[in-house]
Amino acid sequence: MSILANKDTRAVIIGGLAGLNAARRMAQFDFLINRPLTVQAFVYPPEGGQQKEIYRGGELNNVTVYSSLEQALEENPQINTALIYIGASRAYQSAKEALDAKGIKLVTMITEGVPEKDAKRLRKHALECGKIFNGPSSIGIMSAGECRLGVIGGEFKNLKLCNLYRPGSFGVITKSGGLSNEAMWLCAQNGNGITSAVAIGGDSYPGTDFVTYLNMFENDPDTKAVVIIGEVGGTLEEEAAEWLGKEIRRIKVIASIGGTCQDVLPQGMKFGHAGAKEGKKGLGSARSKISALRAAGAVVPDTFGGLSKAIRQVYEELLKSGAIRPEAELDEKLLPALPPSVQEVMKQGDIIVEPLIRTTISDDRGEEPRYVGYAASELCEKGYGIEDVISLLWNKKLPTREEAEIIKRIIMISADHGPAVSGAFGSIIAACAGIDLPQAVSAGMTMIGPRFGGAVTNAGKYFKYGVKEYPNDIPGFLNWMKENVGPVPGIGHRVKSVKNPDKRVKYLVDYVTNQTTLHTPCLDYALQVEKITTAKKDNLILNVDGTIGCILVDLDFPEYSFNGFFVLARTIGMIGHWIDQNNQNSRLIRLYDYLINYAVKEEREVPEKK
Amino acid sequence: MAKILEGPAMKLFNKWGIPVPNYVVIMDPDRLAQLGEANKWLRESKLVVKAHEAIGGRFKLGLVKLGLNLDEAYLAAKEMIGREIGTSVVHQVIVAEMLDHDEEYYVSIAGTRDGSELLLSSKGGVDIEDNWDTVKRLFIPLDENPSIETITEAALEAGFVGEIAERVAKIASRLILCFDDEDAQSIEINPLVIRKSDMRFAALDAVMNVDWDARFRHADWDFKPVSEIGRSYTEAEQQIMDIDARIKGSVKLVEVPGGEIALLTAGGGASVFYSDAVVARGGSIANYAEYSGDPPDWAVEALTETICRLPHIKHIIVGGAIANFTDVKATFSGIINGFRESKSKGFLENVQIWVRRGGPNENQGLAAMKKLQEEGFDIHVYDRSMPMTDIVDLALNS
Repeated sequence: MSILANKDTRAVIIGGLAGLNAARRMAQFDFLINRPLTVQAFVYPPEGGQQKEIYRGGELNNVTVYSSLEQALEENPQINTALIYIGASRAYQSAKEALDAKGIKLVTMITEGVPEKDAKRLRKHALECGKIFNGPSSIGIMSAGECRLGVIGGEFKNLKLCNLYRPGSFGVITKSGGLSNEAMWLCAQNGNGITSAVAIGGDSYPGTDFVTYLNMFENDPDTKAVVIIGEVGGTLEEEAAEWLGKEIRRIKVIASIGGTCQDVLPQGMKFGHAGAKEGKKGLGSARSKISALRAAGAVVPDTFGGLSKAIRQVYEELLKSGAIRPEAELDEKLLPALPPSVQEVMKQGDIIVEPLIRTTISDDRGEEPRYVGYAASELCEKGYGIEDVISLLWNKKLPTREEAEIIKRIIMISADHGPAVSGAFGSIIAACAGIDLPQAVSAGMTMIGPRFGGAVTNAGKYFKYGVKEYPNDIPGFLNWMKENVGPVPGIGHRVKSVKNPDKRVKYLVDYVTNQTTLHTPCLDYALQVEKITTAKKDNLILNVDGTIGCILVDLDFPEYSFNGFFVLARTIGMIGHWIDQNNQNSRLIRLYDYLINYAVKEEREVPEKK
Repeated sequence: MAKILEGPAMKLFNKWGIPVPNYVVIMDPDRLAQLGEANKWLRESKLVVKAHEAIGGRFKLGLVKLGLNLDEAYLAAKEMIGREIGTSVVHQVIVAEMLDHDEEYYVSIAGTRDGSELLLSSKGGVDIEDNWDTVKRLFIPLDENPSIETITEAALEAGFVGEIAERVAKIASRLILCFDDEDAQSIEINPLVIRKSDMRFAALDAVMNVDWDARFRHADWDFKPVSEIGRSYTEAEQQIMDIDARIKGSVKLVEVPGGEIALLTAGGGASVFYSDAVVARGGSIANYAEYSGDPPDWAVEALTETICRLPHIKHIIVGGAIANFTDVKATFSGIINGFRESKSKGFLENVQIWVRRGGPNENQGLAAMKKLQEEGFDIHVYDRSMPMTDIVDLALNS
């Protein structure tokens, strides 16, 4: 048997993330004792309509989040208990609504910092409805072998250590949440465990009190003794003493009261819990509570550490008197183990999981990202630049200073080419249409292809092929290209020519060949090709794509990375155009009629539909 | 519980029509001269000047000066502002009209579980403790307002007569409204004075506590509660409070000068029992501390370093119950970092550390703590099988 929570308890949790965490802990207990899921619904308006994933052991349940309690109860009429996990400013309203709901008999609130007046009103309201309002600031309620409400009992391992999978003979009532768990452990270690444990919360005016639950335990034949953990402040412990002394009680009471140190602490000092404060003239002092309880016949050790002995003593007496019959201990090995996550099993080496993807360039599992093993901050600190990062992430090695400088200059030279080219123009049109940065830049990005900027990779690829297969036979190479590929990528320009050379090409070729020691077989080869093609036609010059492609071959970058240089460089420009248009507050644009040749059919009548 | 200073309390009294003397709160004595030009009462009444700070025993410390004219009040204010009392500094003074009066009464109200209790006595003033048996109590059920007749009846029973009883009842009824609407926990007016010549009442002195948890519904609460420990907070306490305000979970610290046993304990309930155990075994605590609600490790680390710096400590008790959801491994890693840092700065010389804890990831947390032995720490680590506060016994017997 138990009090408050049992096998028939079905709960709704009102609140967000903290409530979800509690539901997951509760489901672990449900799994341990093989009972159906305790939490049947959530109420949290911001997430109404969503479902939350709750594992009961290995079984995945989807629990619905409702926008209102009314709706949750309508669809889950079996719910009889509400757990309040919502913030202090809304806790009163939520709890009152729950108390007013017909099917709900018990409302327990973990919310801390609830105004005293709200707690007092809820207590009064619950009394008027004949229901129980437990809390605020309650860690929850545990009935061994039957039901867990809240995170009381802690982690899964502890549930076993405290024998919470099966009932014992001790009741527990505490103000403190942490000590409810400690008390359950003490009852398991020094006795046979608990029937139920309730945390009433450490506020000044909790919704219930020790006497409420002492009465329930007194009426629960399986409970033989109750451990009370109280503290300075209020008169709930005195009332418990009065209850105990009033008539002969079936249950034994063991108690520990915190706050005797108050005599030596700064006057008026506040302890951990809101309710832990001494009144005038020593009213509610720990010492007066201890005396009252002792006088009424409770066992009260002089420190908390003494509880172990006290519980053991009472347990042995109960065994001796026959009130408790010793039962064979369950073999804990028979209890289910919480199914581990794949990650946990992998750590133990008991499972092999085939990875979904593989990476060879970067790793952010540590404190900071590492590029091919090098910490990003260390690269910064040692004076490396973005060109080195490009080389690391695209080519997996640190470039020489010369190589890095070439990479940098390629990016700088290619960063933008004015608003008229396809990429920039695409971004500008999008910017003028009010499109946001990433989408506007990708509008420009979609232009990069065979006719615009996308020839770098192919240029590099074929010149490299030429160097390898037709080293001293440029006509042979051109012939092969003509037969197998078509126009040579990287050769030719719409407006530039021998007489009107591309300044960027000139500059790059001059820089790489004359100012660096880079060995440039591919670039040299392309320049030889250019000599022949320009002899045929003036504008068949080595263009910027071709130049960059060849240099990248000579830098030993992987072939398929070449277009990346143009994409990366031009992104800088496109972002610039987007910002520029936004700075100017540009308006939506459309083409003027005179820029379009309307080569269309004349106006005519639509034939009747047949 | 949040005690508020007289200034804000008087402002709330004004709001609810409870008579208060004229008053001003100033930070700069020169402001008083200007206020004197604007306010007749400052020029013509006898004045009282009081330090407007949370300092106990102000009268004995010379922080209350009575019966002054404006010039004398200026000098008194000048003398008080900037004075250092222990760790506190007087920043503000309240200058109030010292009402000539005929009688002193006592009116107070305090919350109870089922509502509140109004206390009335016609024999108020400094001797109220001696006249406690004259106090008439009136229980006010939650969310009910007693009729003026009921209060008047109570006033009559408390020894008030005739019109005075009616007027006191009226003031008490407003006090009940103020108490209820301002989420107060207690208000004590002592004395409530009367000048019979013009039947003028005034709450000359008042102590008010409000429920700080209810501040979300009081937009006009422009004050902060005063220190709850009968003195100003120390710098270390203030730092820990600042951290506490920023984090999930909480960290708390109160220093107790002269103690030898430092507490680095977890949980609002358990931490108190650890303090009790030290006192019960004849030890002296150097502080009260608590961390709970799974605070981040850096916050626990800051608390640890603060505690390691406490002077003259011989033991540190790293105690706690079996946590429900505070991660032992994570919070212990904060404590371990704090210990290491403190040791490298020369603290923890001849200090013994005693650990007992359980909860999520307890094995890893305790093992990590135990490893500190290899680094030369005098540390003793126990798991859940050690009764919670028995490490205090071990420490004091060592």
